[in-house]
Amino acid sequence: MSTQTARNYTNPVGRSVPRIDGLGMVTGQAKYVFDISLGNMLVGKMLRSPHPHARILSIDTSKAEALPGVRAVVTAKDTYQIKFGSNEYFFPHTVDQMALESDKVRYIGDEIGAVAAVDEETAEEALKLIDIKYEVLPHVTDVLEAMKPGAPQIHESMNNIGVILPVNFGNPERAFKDSFLVREDQFYASAAAHSPLEPHVCVGQWESFSNKITLWSSSQAPFKCREALAKTLKMDLNDVRVIKLAVGGGFGSKLEMLPMDFASCLLSKKAGGLPVKITYSREEEFMCSRRKHGMHYKIKSGVTKEGILTAMTGEVIADGGAYCSYGPTVLAAAIMRIFMVYKLQHFRMTGYRVYTNTPISGAMRGFGGVQSGFAIESHMDLLAHDLKLDPVEFRLKNITTPNMVTVNKMILTTNGLKECIDKATAACGWKEKRGNSNYWKKGNIRRGIGIGIAADVMGSKMYKSHESAGSIVKVEEDGSVYLFTGAADTGQGSNTALSQIAAHALGVAYERIKCKSGDTEITPFDTGSFASRVTFISGNATLRAANDAKAQILEIVADKNKWDVSDLDIVAEKVTNVKTNAELMNFDTALELCYSFHYGRQIIGRGSYNPKTTPIDFRTGEGNVSGSYGFEAQIAEVEVNVETGDVKVIKIWDAHDIGKAINPQSVEAQIEGSLAMGIGYTFYEDLQFRNGRLVNGNFANYRLPRSIGVPEMETIMVETNDPEGPFGAKGMGEASLLPTSAAIANAIEDACGVRIKDLPITPAKIIKGLKEKNSVDHVNGG
Amino acid sequence: MTKLLINSKIYEVDLKGHETLLEVLRDKLGLTGTKTACEESECGTCTVNINGKAVLSCITLASDVEGDEITSIEGLAKGDELHPVQQSFLECGAVQCGFCIPGLIMSAKCLLERNPEPSQEEIEYALDGNICRCAGYPKIFEAVRHAGRVIKGRQNKNVYVSASANGLRH
Repeated sequence: MSTQTARNYTNPVGRSVPRIDGLGMVTGQAKYVFDISLGNMLVGKMLRSPHPHARILSIDTSKAEALPGVRAVVTAKDTYQIKFGSNEYFFPHTVDQMALESDKVRYIGDEIGAVAAVDEETAEEALKLIDIKYEVLPHVTDVLEAMKPGAPQIHESMNNIGVILPVNFGNPERAFKDSFLVREDQFYASAAAHSPLEPHVCVGQWESFSNKITLWSSSQAPFKCREALAKTLKMDLNDVRVIKLAVGGGFGSKLEMLPMDFASCLLSKKAGGLPVKITYSREEEFMCSRRKHGMHYKIKSGVTKEGILTAMTGEVIADGGAYCSYGPTVLAAAIMRIFMVYKLQHFRMTGYRVYTNTPISGAMRGFGGVQSGFAIESHMDLLAHDLKLDPVEFRLKNITTPNMVTVNKMILTTNGLKECIDKATAACGWKEKRGNSNYWKKGNIRRGIGIGIAADVMGSKMYKSHESAGSIVKVEEDGSVYLFTGAADTGQGSNTALSQIAAHALGVAYERIKCKSGDTEITPFDTGSFASRVTFISGNATLRAANDAKAQILEIVADKNKWDVSDLDIVAEKVTNVKTNAELMNFDTALELCYSFHYGRQIIGRGSYNPKTTPIDFRTGEGNVSGSYGFEAQIAEVEVNVETGDVKVIKIWDAHDIGKAINPQSVEAQIEGSLAMGIGYTFYEDLQFRNGRLVNGNFANYRLPRSIGVPEMETIMVETNDPEGPFGAKGMGEASLLPTSAAIANAIEDACGVRIKDLPITPAKIIKGLKEKNSVDHVNGG
Repeated sequence: MTKLLINSKIYEVDLKGHETLLEVLRDKLGLTGTKTACEESECGTCTVNINGKAVLSCITLASDVEGDEITSIEGLAKGDELHPVQQSFLECGAVQCGFCIPGLIMSAKCLLERNPEPSQEEIEYALDGNICRCAGYPKIFEAVRHAGRVIKGRQNKNVYVSASANGLRH
């Protein structure tokens, strides 16, 4: 029997076990697709549009094909010209992108073709030799301009509106009439870049004798990538193998097949089956992957004299860029998220996702919730201010509660929102600090404190009719265990968490587990890493697979010893009688029995989980989208220099209802990473375009959070033990990012009285706000 | 042929002259532990150590470092025994996607060799060239502090051993 590894981590759920893949990462041995080099591998490059909007009149690739060292050139004529998209199930009309465009290009960077050559220089030279005749069309890059009649039409849709999402409940107009106070605000949340450090990269290989393809891709959703490849290449799903290796971050940008994935396979076919690797440059990563939707918000809310929200109406306009991507989902999540947070009976908000001739907006950590988090949570503070109520007190009057059904039929079961608010406010000293300008005042420095709250789903059925996850737990003869999961660990640590769940449920030490994830030929199906779904959904599948394996083992143990199987369990490496707590047999001995002369029974446990949800009615916004909901409260303390406008975040407290922490260290790491990302988004992450051309597509001009200036962070875990979650766990990868910008903006107002309603918050905006405030104060004799 | 001393091994490489150390490590020698995220000296992901200093391999010409002592992430562990910085990154949960980690470890190692007890400010300055997109940095800071304590402890132990070997301590 196996004595190779230590067995220190029995009952691993709830323990901060080391990352299952950590050793490879600290030694440099972990393999990313970025690192792959196969024999005779060719270098692929994408041919991109230099125009923001143009009709393609002709493409001549003959000179490129004749260049020595070029092995293949592909354009739309080599394809079936089948469109792909990401919300095919609910929004078939948003399936609008071609793997290689044939008649029109819609942004600078749009893919027209690709080349494969023996080296990078030759591939780049070949791109220059491709002769394309364009008819340049008028373009529109501003989302509000794009909606005006007469604006250049990017697709067939009216006024460039690709998606309209009306969400309507009750009678807001009547409720406004009965309100004590009604207030309206406008906000803008900027477009940001995901910026995973490993860029998009893939290696495609066509096996000509069997007509199969293998694609190694840095993907968050290998099965979704497979689906799009099979569709656009007219192949069966089992002819397409998508493999993810270690993935160097994704944050939503790696959820979809990109034209590069498609092109690398097609180039390989044309090059006689040689593998073709395409690696994005950093500039391509900024321009031609996905970005966060910039969003304009109009919000109007009514409240009673006591501070109860009566109604809310509004409008969200999202800059979608050239194609739809995950646009409908982002819009839906941006609008409908509010029902998880606040009790509202009367609500009307319409979302518009609008095409522009700019890079494609897609899903980014939070699916629109970050933008709406900024708008809604800023608006809530302004309402509280009008009512002369403390912002925390105001929120506590209006938040959702456990075991309630929202107006749009979301079923909130466990709900730790109040506990999160209570714990965060207690930890930060809210009562002493908030609104107390005397507690800290040094020279030009003013301190302030602000809150934001949020809620999140654990997955949602969007790109297909189900969102099933599958797992297999295979126990080998020596008692070592394989976990096969379709879930794609992109760095968040899902392989570790799922292995903990598998080990705990099977009753063995964590060290016995080896995890293989996200290989469409080997692992069961999984929709991918998005919407904070993996711990909850893939975790439940894994729990079921481990329980199934355990039942198979116990059946044999019971049969051999004439024990009642219902008395047996495996706990911490021992077969145990649950009635007497007697330890009956070692796990290894039980496995010897399973694989013995007489039984010879292979232990292969399987599990599949599809959460019990209802489809969303996209005409109204009604539907229970998630099997569970997570909640959170965040408080930021800031220092504002009223002379320079500089803001320093001193500390952020984050209290998060995560159901149950499978791995507390990983939970903290996810929260801390979200907070840093939120700080970057609040103060400087902002993609800038001029005439459709990105002007800050590098790390020198697009700043990311770095080690200097990171504030202190305090994580408070609230465990509500959700009955539907594996060991009570909920997903939690996205929620901590949602309220950060608003918590900071609210703290800034507390510090210096300036309200910033458009991101990013810059020193210039603060100085401008201070000047305006001073002149108003002066006029008012203040 | 250019002779490069990498991780205490001599590699003979045929250089055209313009290759960066990063290209040589990854493409010619298969030492893919060193990553890059920008290739223009902005992200710190490609950090290696040259003569004990943290250096960006993406802007270092390989021909310029002939004869220098080059250490990449692959050269840190001794057999199965991890370097204290590697061990600490693992234990403190400082690793998420892992892509920035080799560069961060090389920057941290260089700092701790100079100063095993850095202040928070010194840690922040030493690591400011290394972008990590997953973590919010606190666990990375914790890992560096922890590794510093281990290194300091070992230095003290070495002092004790060498002192007793010289018969000075009894």
